[in-house]
Amino acid sequence: MREELGGDGDQMDRVFLQLSSMARDMCTEVRIEAFNALAKMQRVSEGVLLQSLSKKIIKTDTGSASSIKGKKLPPKLSFPCAAGIFAHGVEDEFYQVRTVACKTLGALAKLSNRYAQKALDLLMDMMNDDTEAARLQTLQTLFDMATYGCLSMQEKHMHMFLGILMDANVVVRNAARKILGSVNLPKLQMFKSALDGLIAGLEKNPEDQDIYGVLFSIGKNHGSFSANIAKHLAKEINVASDGELILDKPRIKALLMVSVSAAYDDKDKKLDIPTVIFSHAIPLFGMISCALAEDEQDSLLSYLYRQAGMQFWEKKLVSAEGGDYECFSVETVGGTHAQVETTGKTTKYLDEVVIMQSTRLILETVKGAWAVIKPCSIGEVQSTLRTCKEEVNILAVNSSGSTSAVLSFVCDYLDALQLIVEIWWFIQLDDSHAFGHTSLDILLEKLDTSVRRMKCCYAGLNRGLEVQVLEFALLAILCRLFEFGTCSKLVLDKLHWIINHIDGLCADGSYELSDFSKEVKKVFDGNFIDGTPIVNIYTFLEIFDLKPARDFEMLNATTAVLQVRDTDSENPLSYVYGLPVGVTFDMSLCNTSSHDRIWLRMVACQSVQHVFLDLSCFEGNDKMKSCSRVIPFYATPMACSFVLRACLVIECPFGSIGTHQEGHGGPKDCVVQLCDELDVYFVSADTEQRQWSK
Amino acid sequence: MFDCGMHMGHHDHQRYPDFARILAATPGADFTSAISCVVITHFHLDHIGALPYFTEVCGYHGPIYMTYPTKALAPLMLEDYRKVMVDHRGEEEQYSYEDIQNCMKKVIPLDLKQTIQVDRELVIRAYYAGHVLGAAMIYAKVGDAALVYTGDYNMTPDRHLGAAQIDHLKLDLLITESTYAKTVRDSKHAREREFLKAVHKCVSGGGKVLIPAFALGRAQELCILLDDYWERMNLKIPIYFSAGLTIQANMYYKMLIGWTSQKIKDSYTVHNPFDFKHVCDFQRSFINDPGPCVLFATPGMISGGFSLEVFKRWAPSEKNLVTLPGYCVAGTIGHKLMSGKPTRIDLDKETHIDVRCQIHQLSFSPHTDSKGIMDLTEFLSPSHVILVHGEKPQMSFLKERIESELGMPCYYPANNETVSIPTTKNLKISATDKFIASCSTSQARDSTQKSNLICGNHLSGANGDEKLAEGILLMEKSKDAKILCEDELLQLLGAEGHSLQFEPLLHSRIGEAETDIVDDLASE
Repeated sequence: MREELGGDGDQMDRVFLQLSSMARDMCTEVRIEAFNALAKMQRVSEGVLLQSLSKKIIKTDTGSASSIKGKKLPPKLSFPCAAGIFAHGVEDEFYQVRTVACKTLGALAKLSNRYAQKALDLLMDMMNDDTEAARLQTLQTLFDMATYGCLSMQEKHMHMFLGILMDANVVVRNAARKILGSVNLPKLQMFKSALDGLIAGLEKNPEDQDIYGVLFSIGKNHGSFSANIAKHLAKEINVASDGELILDKPRIKALLMVSVSAAYDDKDKKLDIPTVIFSHAIPLFGMISCALAEDEQDSLLSYLYRQAGMQFWEKKLVSAEGGDYECFSVETVGGTHAQVETTGKTTKYLDEVVIMQSTRLILETVKGAWAVIKPCSIGEVQSTLRTCKEEVNILAVNSSGSTSAVLSFVCDYLDALQLIVEIWWFIQLDDSHAFGHTSLDILLEKLDTSVRRMKCCYAGLNRGLEVQVLEFALLAILCRLFEFGTCSKLVLDKLHWIINHIDGLCADGSYELSDFSKEVKKVFDGNFIDGTPIVNIYTFLEIFDLKPARDFEMLNATTAVLQVRDTDSENPLSYVYGLPVGVTFDMSLCNTSSHDRIWLRMVACQSVQHVFLDLSCFEGNDKMKSCSRVIPFYATPMACSFVLRACLVIECPFGSIGTHQEGHGGPKDCVVQLCDELDVYFVSADTEQRQWSK
Repeated sequence: MFDCGMHMGHHDHQRYPDFARILAATPGADFTSAISCVVITHFHLDHIGALPYFTEVCGYHGPIYMTYPTKALAPLMLEDYRKVMVDHRGEEEQYSYEDIQNCMKKVIPLDLKQTIQVDRELVIRAYYAGHVLGAAMIYAKVGDAALVYTGDYNMTPDRHLGAAQIDHLKLDLLITESTYAKTVRDSKHAREREFLKAVHKCVSGGGKVLIPAFALGRAQELCILLDDYWERMNLKIPIYFSAGLTIQANMYYKMLIGWTSQKIKDSYTVHNPFDFKHVCDFQRSFINDPGPCVLFATPGMISGGFSLEVFKRWAPSEKNLVTLPGYCVAGTIGHKLMSGKPTRIDLDKETHIDVRCQIHQLSFSPHTDSKGIMDLTEFLSPSHVILVHGEKPQMSFLKERIESELGMPCYYPANNETVSIPTTKNLKISATDKFIASCSTSQARDSTQKSNLICGNHLSGANGDEKLAEGILLMEKSKDAKILCEDELLQLLGAEGHSLQFEPLLHSRIGEAETDIVDDLASE
């Protein structure tokens, strides 16, 4: 072995050199192991490390401190043994060796900064490697180096790096971006070219949405550069008229992202980011929040508001109330919706905000439509309502939780309105009876159901909403009165109960009694002897006013899930005809209160059986309770098979007024279905026996 | 005889080796009896160019060895050269097409690591050398004397060939090429990157790239590089190969896949890397087509032929790019382009070309650099080194390094110079059981001491393992020599052991003072 170390040379350096000499072995396995061992070195002098990168022998001269641990190495010392082992390693014929060499290069980078910079040259060239494994390892190494903070990109590397951002392989692209997100770019020019590279990537591969996250973190890491970008962007925004600057363009989105990110970490407000940037960045909220941790979302949104210098949503609403309804045409709603769609990965939070906003706009539109129903033809209003309902349905597709409750409530609300408009159209016709009683009957029945649903299936209706629902109920009863001309005591009782209820709700003055309610009250307050007041439905309809609610807070839908385990049409349950059969139902109820009366309704052929469910048997809280019970069905038909239609219903009480008082054990009032009907299939257990006996 | 090349610079009798010297060394013999065999390391003309002349004109009929790929590709090279020589330069032909054919028929193909007993004493074995497809390093052994002749080799792998690979051998002599005796090249990756960057920039600007390249080796390497890059970057710009020799060579590369690098061999199972995805044949009519493209054209130095034709068309546009190989012979256009940036090249008196295109210089070389030579020399640790295939000043520099750093005597003989290398002659000596037993006991004793040393800082290595043992070497006429223990020799000779004892005799003069004491003693 050559004498290449002075007597007092560092022991670790000796070990390093020993291993280095093995890194040039003719045997692949030896080379791999040698590099693996080198990666574990914890303390090597800088001179040796630098030598390991360069094939040329570096003569360390006396002047420069060639050791990092304070020990001076003897002058004029060279380490030909270690010369260029990495230069060879990354060019090795076997990709296994190249991969390991690359890993080792990175592992040693934390020992010396000068070494790290030079190692970067080698690593950058590895990006052109023909093996994907080696390329990925290179990226991983670069990422590790960036994490350790020993990666500083130089201008000459940018071309190569931007090349990888456009790699055909998505894994490589992702890895490259991950590095870019944490790397330090010393020059504005490099920063800009990195942005250009990312934007080009966005345009080429629109599916790479995580680029926005990377943009955000780059922007955050390079505050002053981003501020520079922001200024230019602000100019661009100001110059462009409203129509030209399309937020959908990846470039604008990307630049906005960067601009906003700069200010986000800038607590001292040292950077001067134009306000216009923030107001334009609000639609990007979803993407920005994706780039951040989940829990920061609220603060981010409020931050954006504050920076934008305006109360974004509130402002819109104020103008909504001030202006006439025309400006809230369906197109606006559609526009809002389109915006929701294009935002793509919008977070749930933003969804809610936008949906609520849209819902309010829809309700305003409806109100406007109702207002013009008098002069205009009914058909136009109907189409407006239909469009609104479609919008609501689209919004409801990807909503959840309380938002979906609101939307389903609005849906019922629009249903009821549509029915009222239709009824109105019906009774306007001179010869409405030409269509027969039945059509109108059906409409009235539908209206009742809609109103009942609104009344019973939502928990947490606020006072305004409740009054609105009750007014609908009143109108429904009035329509019925008008249609049949007479009324039973029961109906009148109900009417009075409702009026009283509305009165009660408005008693404390927080909510004004509407003209409609007042009028109804006036007409029905007197005691009629013959019990048949003359109802001029047209007057009522004309003064009936919609007051779209703006506050849907706390609104929750009461829903239920009903299941029967281990059975379907292919695997029916068996029964003995004529004898009761037990069915195990799994039931879960959402947002029910303890005073709700829930029934299980079972229908088979003509027989209906109601089973009252004692909510105290359920486990869980009001939000979600569930239980599993075996419930007998008594009236099994004399047939070899039948289908039992089971459904959970909620009783819809009008005070203490009961409709059914026959005492058959069922609910004493109208019910509303809480879930879809569930089909349970039964087949007789003794089919064959029966056939034989016959 | 290792290699039978020719000098490309000369056009007279000097281009061939002075074969007469073979006869001069062994008077009275012809070529066939004077040399045991000819071994060709690879198909480059400076290693094979004179072979048909030697066999067909001079009349050598002994065995010729070369690897399979060399045998396959050599006729292509020789024929190409013969055509250029005869057709283009109008020279008198030194050997005909039939001569090449006949010559190749005498060749015995050789496989890597295959040991061939050439005659009673000579054994040869080929090792992988990189450099070009089929290049080999030759290990030759005559009796106990062993040597390695490297031919041209490359210690760093490239895109399609692996690095040279050889076993640990006990050598008296290493004859190594020393093309780059003084240069240490930096990483190949950097050069590849520069190349790709230049090409990519040019084609994305709508320019055309002309790569004049030799048909074999460089063209394939660059093509693999580009094809790979095209794939990764998803580029759709066409890459063309000018038809002819290159296409034929590609076909051979496809067949001889086993001689390429590990990577190529790995990927071969799924897809033959020489089936370039983005490469198509070039039609002459494409020259004037608009739009970007990359074209590989022969010959490499734009000395004429197709690459010159294309160069004439493409050079006047500044959008285009010409990528030149590492080395161009003086006098060719390639050389003019490399030595400064000319704006106008005069072809002859009437025609001249306005050169406005960009020029990129490639320095990919299939030769090893000085570090590679040092690495290989250190790895093989021969007793002597001879440098060939290089330039004198550089070789003398390398000689100094080898002698000072590796401590090996090194020579770089000029043409017609003779160097004699002392070789070792190994004698097989049997040892008696008793001798071996006594050796091993002493060794066991030592090793216990040594085990303590290992823990210490004892890295100096080899010397510690050599042990001394005492014995008597007995050499009798007509019998093998053997080593005996002392007492065995006595038995063998039937002689009695005489022990000779020495007694120290001290001359002393007793001084005056002591006399008194003696006297005292005497008196008692």
